[in-house]
Amino acid sequence: MHTFRILFSAEWHHFRAAKGLVLLCGLLLATGLYGIYYGTTEIERQRQHLATLPELTRRNIAELKEKFPGPADAGDIGYYHSTFAVHHPDSWAALSLGLRDVNPTYVKLRLLGLQNQLYAADNTNPMKTLSGNFDLAFVLVYLFPLLIIALSFNLLSGEREEGVLPLLLAQPVRPAVVVGAKLAFRLVLVLTLALLLSVVGMLWAGVPPDGRVASWLVLTTLYCLFWLGVVLVVAGLQRPSAVNAVSLLGVWLLLVVLVPSLLNLGVAAARPVPQGIALTIQQREEIHAGWDRPKAQTMSRFFALYPQWRDTTTIRERFAWRWYYAFQHLGDLAVARQAAAYAQGLQQRYDLVEKLNLLSPAISAQSSLNALAGTDLPTHLQFQRSAERHHDALRAFYYPFLFRRVAFTHADYAQEPTHTFISAPELTTVQHGLLKLLLSVALVHLLGLGLLCVRPVTPR
Amino acid sequence: MIHSIAQKEFVSTLRDRRFVVLSGLVLALLLAATLVGRASYRSLQQERELAQGTVNEQFRNQPARHPHRVAHYGSFAFRPKSGLSLLDAGVDTYTGSVVYLEAHQQNSVNFSQAQQSGSLIRFGEMTVAFVLQLLVPLLIIFLCFGAFTQERETGMLKLLLSQGVSLRQVAWGKIRGLSQAVALVVAPALGLAAALLFTGEEFAAGPDLLLRLLLFGLSYALYFFLFVVGSVVVSARQASSRAALVTLLGLWILGCIILPKATANLGASLYPTTTKAQMDAQVHEQAQHGINGHDPHDQRAAALKAALLKQYGVDSEEKLPVSVAGLQMAAGEAYSAKVYQQHFAALNATYQRQNRLSDWAGLLNPYQAIRPLSMGLAGSDFAHYVHFQQAAEAYRYMLVQRLNHLQAGMGYGDKERRLDARTWRELPVFAYHAPTLGWAWPHLLLPLAALLLWGVGLSWLGLRLISTTSVT
Repeated sequence: MHTFRILFSAEWHHFRAAKGLVLLCGLLLATGLYGIYYGTTEIERQRQHLATLPELTRRNIAELKEKFPGPADAGDIGYYHSTFAVHHPDSWAALSLGLRDVNPTYVKLRLLGLQNQLYAADNTNPMKTLSGNFDLAFVLVYLFPLLIIALSFNLLSGEREEGVLPLLLAQPVRPAVVVGAKLAFRLVLVLTLALLLSVVGMLWAGVPPDGRVASWLVLTTLYCLFWLGVVLVVAGLQRPSAVNAVSLLGVWLLLVVLVPSLLNLGVAAARPVPQGIALTIQQREEIHAGWDRPKAQTMSRFFALYPQWRDTTTIRERFAWRWYYAFQHLGDLAVARQAAAYAQGLQQRYDLVEKLNLLSPAISAQSSLNALAGTDLPTHLQFQRSAERHHDALRAFYYPFLFRRVAFTHADYAQEPTHTFISAPELTTVQHGLLKLLLSVALVHLLGLGLLCVRPVTPR
Repeated sequence: MIHSIAQKEFVSTLRDRRFVVLSGLVLALLLAATLVGRASYRSLQQERELAQGTVNEQFRNQPARHPHRVAHYGSFAFRPKSGLSLLDAGVDTYTGSVVYLEAHQQNSVNFSQAQQSGSLIRFGEMTVAFVLQLLVPLLIIFLCFGAFTQERETGMLKLLLSQGVSLRQVAWGKIRGLSQAVALVVAPALGLAAALLFTGEEFAAGPDLLLRLLLFGLSYALYFFLFVVGSVVVSARQASSRAALVTLLGLWILGCIILPKATANLGASLYPTTTKAQMDAQVHEQAQHGINGHDPHDQRAAALKAALLKQYGVDSEEKLPVSVAGLQMAAGEAYSAKVYQQHFAALNATYQRQNRLSDWAGLLNPYQAIRPLSMGLAGSDFAHYVHFQQAAEAYRYMLVQRLNHLQAGMGYGDKERRLDARTWRELPVFAYHAPTLGWAWPHLLLPLAALLLWGVGLSWLGLRLISTTSVT
């Protein structure tokens, strides 16, 4: 134990003397802080944008009150009135932005057919979404492995090439203790940085102190441990520093770049998604055919679904709002199967990735962090379902006005149902991610230790 | 002498087993990316062509309807993929593919591929451009980091110089030999891509495509040349092979991973934009109350009606030969489209300001020069996307106004009547013509200039540095 301590402190002195490495750590710390700053400001910006939406609704209502000063036909109100279903971020989202910039964070809803409103995209700069987010998760998943590689590619080979290793091994010290002390020092250094950044990020983002704090910290620790395990394996092979650097970077390239992009191709090919385009086209056909069909036919189809409105008067006039909204809804129902298949197809793609991401701990780590922050595809699909339920609630609110032909008064605006949705974490994904990372860590460390046992450390 | 140094460098590289393995890997990835790119291009293109055909047929086969009903029925514009996008998908994955065209409003372009996948997409896509921009430079670095340091470490450099060769000549020889080796890896894949492009029936192989492909190849050649020269220069200036390798890898990580993301994020923070909801509300507000706030929609409509009565010398709407509602609709559409265009132009100007930061960074970082150049040539950059959006809007405006004027021609009481089904067959359908290289040219000047500047600067300054480097 004493030798270990001596070796450990020797590493510390070496590190302090190596200005380049200290600078690198400083730079990574600064990069991580920028990542936290960027993530929190990005979420703050999204929050501000979402906060303007109720104001837009208020202005819309004010305009309608001016347009319809007295009691109005609810059909007119439903047509001109728009509200928003809003996807509020969880405070964790600031640390791992996921797909929050790719998927719209709100849906503008009118009483019309839902399916041609649900997929509306928001204004985005595609160059920006292509480049991706510089958040803390990016720093941890992408850049920390690189720091670990830079710190330890010459773990043993550096000593050997400088001629220190023969001297060191001539002492009464087991090679395993040398490797252990060196790795332990790097582990302490890297974890200090990673956990420090994580804690700063959590405080900055103001996350609630619940189980997710521990999950995030454990995920980060396991991911760093995995990369130190890779270092152990490469050091166990006992090749020159340049070869080590190339091999380690090769592993990084493979796990962080190649496997994810190839997996993406494979999953897209294995799980083709029925196109959303087809369902919006079909919904338009259904809705517009509603104008040309006999009104009695439309209404009897509608009443079969909503018998509670059956006893309302037959429509004889050229146009009636209740008939209009009836065929809008029938248009949605006509494509309900396709809409469900589309959402299900997306979920299946995600699930397949979840199954296969054991191939790369980088994907496991990234998707676990996103799941923890509630910023990945499943959360967006949940939001879409919640927007759908809100649309149902709006219909349920307006139908009595329309079918009983009750006038819509200014007081009724305040009675309209409202919508809130806050991202919830996908805790099962996080648990699976933890298990997968644990498995990868065990695998590389066993392999590394095995290599060290099989091939004793040679001084030259 | 330069020739024999180049020859030696070329031959010894080919004999290096590591090079064979790595380049085999890169070549395999390039070929795979080309084939996958073509398969995905084909399926997306077929899907969109089929869908465009379907909606066009649906539009032409409408029953007798009132023209304003048809304007609300509207149509869809699908964005065709550009031929070269199979090499560089650019921003295509993150932009929508279809926009619904209807009266009164301009909708967003929806259904991007990125929205149809999980966050895995954020790790990057395996396209030819991805391999060429990120992986080939890495291969070059592995190939070249020892160009000088190894000669120095083995004492060969002294021997070479004692033959009366200058350091500059040694450097040029190495650059030539190594460039040949790189060309050997990349050329077959690009050749295959070109063959696929020009033999496949689905591509309109015109001079424009040929020119784009040629420039595409040339700019990548220059990009690789930069990396070869840069690596040789770093190798000459660093004391050991290890230091040279670590420096080069550090530069690669900075230039290819960190900087592009950082500049894109910084740009977005510096120039904030509004949401679609806010923009739509502002457009609606200004269309209702006038752009200056003193010209409300109702007044404009009333003035139009009064002018019509005066023009035809009648005292009531019933006696007019035209439908007042139709003409009011046309005027309203013209006004709101104008307001929308102003907002749309402002939004895109902001996006361009955001992206400008990254483009200027191309002067510091060749990766950020080749990226916009490559996607611009491939027709998959932001400018080409905006071109499609504007073409879709131009068609939408034309279609809606034709329908409004059809309505106007129906005279008073048009709401009670319909136009014959034949009418819809006479209206044009949406056909998108991708812009030519001549159109895209201005957007490509900055990245091209940055790349050329790098080429000249590195060849001049770098080789000056080499000639002053130490021999031992």
